[in-house]
Amino acid sequence: MLALQILVNGLLLGGLYVLIAQSLNLIFGVMGVVNLAHGAFIVVAGLFTYWFASSTGINPLAVLPFVFIVMALVGAGLQPLLIEPLMKMGRSKAELLSLMVTFGLDYVLVELALQVWGSSFVSVPYLQSSWKLAGLDFSQALVVTGMFAALVSALLYWWLNRTDSGKSLLAASQSETGAICCGIDVKRVRMLAFALGVALAAAAGVLVIIVEALAPQTADDLTLLAFVIIALGGLGSYVGVAVAALLLGVAQSITGYFVGGNAEYVLPYVLLILVMVALPGRFRRA
Amino acid sequence: MPIHKYPRLALFAGLLALPCAAFLPAPTAEAAPPIVIGGTISETGPLAVDADYQIKGVKLAVADANAAGGWLGRKLELKLYDDKSSAGVADRLYERLITDDKVDLLIGPYSSGVTTGIAPLINKYQMATMEPGASDPSIYHSGNKWNIQGTASSLQYLDQLLPAAKDRGAKTVALLGLESAFTLACYHAREAQAKELGMKIVYQTTYSLPQPDFSSIALAVKNANPDVVVACTYYPDAVGITRSLHEQGFAPKFLGETVGPVEAPFTKAVGPLANRLVTNTGWWSNFKTPDNQGFIERYKAMFHQDPDYHAATGYAAIQVLGAAVKATNSLDQAKIRDWLLSHTVDTIQGTFKVNENGLSLGYVQDLLQIQDGVLKLVYPTANAEATLQFPYTGS
Repeated sequence: MLALQILVNGLLLGGLYVLIAQSLNLIFGVMGVVNLAHGAFIVVAGLFTYWFASSTGINPLAVLPFVFIVMALVGAGLQPLLIEPLMKMGRSKAELLSLMVTFGLDYVLVELALQVWGSSFVSVPYLQSSWKLAGLDFSQALVVTGMFAALVSALLYWWLNRTDSGKSLLAASQSETGAICCGIDVKRVRMLAFALGVALAAAAGVLVIIVEALAPQTADDLTLLAFVIIALGGLGSYVGVAVAALLLGVAQSITGYFVGGNAEYVLPYVLLILVMVALPGRFRRA
Repeated sequence: MPIHKYPRLALFAGLLALPCAAFLPAPTAEAAPPIVIGGTISETGPLAVDADYQIKGVKLAVADANAAGGWLGRKLELKLYDDKSSAGVADRLYERLITDDKVDLLIGPYSSGVTTGIAPLINKYQMATMEPGASDPSIYHSGNKWNIQGTASSLQYLDQLLPAAKDRGAKTVALLGLESAFTLACYHAREAQAKELGMKIVYQTTYSLPQPDFSSIALAVKNANPDVVVACTYYPDAVGITRSLHEQGFAPKFLGETVGPVEAPFTKAVGPLANRLVTNTGWWSNFKTPDNQGFIERYKAMFHQDPDYHAATGYAAIQVLGAAVKATNSLDQAKIRDWLLSHTVDTIQGTFKVNENGLSLGYVQDLLQIQDGVLKLVYPTANAEATLQFPYTGS
């Protein structure tokens, strides 16, 4: 029973990781943009959710559609301004320059959040209990987060592989020239990918704030964690990232229980080093 | 025309000068240059909220001192810079305060982390510096005697919990500690205390932040089934541990956490899970210390908010510094330091007393308990607003 509980805790934690990492994976996979502002989008959405829920008393999940749409529009507005001009310089240069631009964007967003919400950690007291099933405890917040993550992953997979717009996005990520030759408007595709990535990151923020305490200064930790997960799963591979996130959650749960908190904390980074050494090609787009 | 050659003229001039002198301003405190107290404060960055309370306490103390005529017949003036919550920035700014601004006295920054960064500099320039925001005891050692602790040491955090729990039949303890100097000092002190009290430690671990999930630690605590859980925490891990213990279906008889529960957002963040949770504070509104109620009233009038313990430590640090300056009748740093290391001062947060290295011995950390969403002082009993309720229910 204990082993099962450790496994359940790990899988639920992995679900949270899927949510945090998948949107960053989308932006990098399609555009080659290293979005260092990823964690800032999560945090801003999370803090907005906290403000909304604490001021209105309304269910924090009610804000999710609103946040998704608004942040999609923000992403669609930012991409032509900040990212698209870099794309003219070629993919390799754009990757490097986008790193710098999104670093600046991250700094601006974090400082804005500090000005608006202050530096205190906050969280939303929602779904704090667990559901009991067959003698096992299932954290309500993590179950909801995991279900949302599964839904997002499934929808992404379906959209990318079964719809024309999704296939256009995949085509543009594989070969920009080829996509243009096929009549695909790659600029529009890139804007769509960035807007969707930002919206999904923000949706993740709405859910993360009910799982853990957030403050503006936690943005970079979330970005780093997301990078580790997509590096482990294979950049641009949606299934790979989901599997890596779940395995990492289970590995951390086992380590945390048997070895302790510090080992649990350092495990993702140790795994990253091991994977990079053993499989150096892993940090290329799948 | 030398005047001494004409004594009658000199006498006439002197007599004329006497009534004129009555209209000249008397040589008062305003005429003397102010005593400048320099320091940094985290106006921006992650420490800004708590630091804001501390500096407001300092500002109120300076205003009170000036209203009472200043020190050594001179008014006080504050020279403050924003250290952006960074030890590196603070280090450069303190050097500027000492070498360029040539301030007369220094007051330390907020937080143990930032203070650790500036401590060697303070020592190098031999400036007797009150440190209101640094509870980490490792700062105050024999090679660092110019830093004087102005708050209770984190060795004292939750030090009244284990004896109180033992008195109520608790026998086993789980210890959790965040990997930071301040919380680890608390963690090791409680570990030693549990052994001294003969209480069995059934589980212990340290962890680092960010830790997105505490479920594995909570599950391990649940399996060890301790009577008391002592967690030396900051805010985010205090929230995480409280929630995870509940999610894993475990409520110890006593749950104590250090930094976090005393802050207002905590109760909102965990809701009913905060009920009967125990924490600690170095200052409370019902402390029967000299002028404590006056401090609260003046603070509210000046800043339109209630003070917290950060404000009290800032205020008390200036009280102590003033006592040293007045007692030594000097701004000589060595004299001030020697006086501080060997004397006690009654302040609004208790009796200031330090050892030969500047480590606090006088200030205490009393126990608070959240009861129906309200923090109440429960220990020591002589000063208690309510009795310690147990068991912790986790709901």
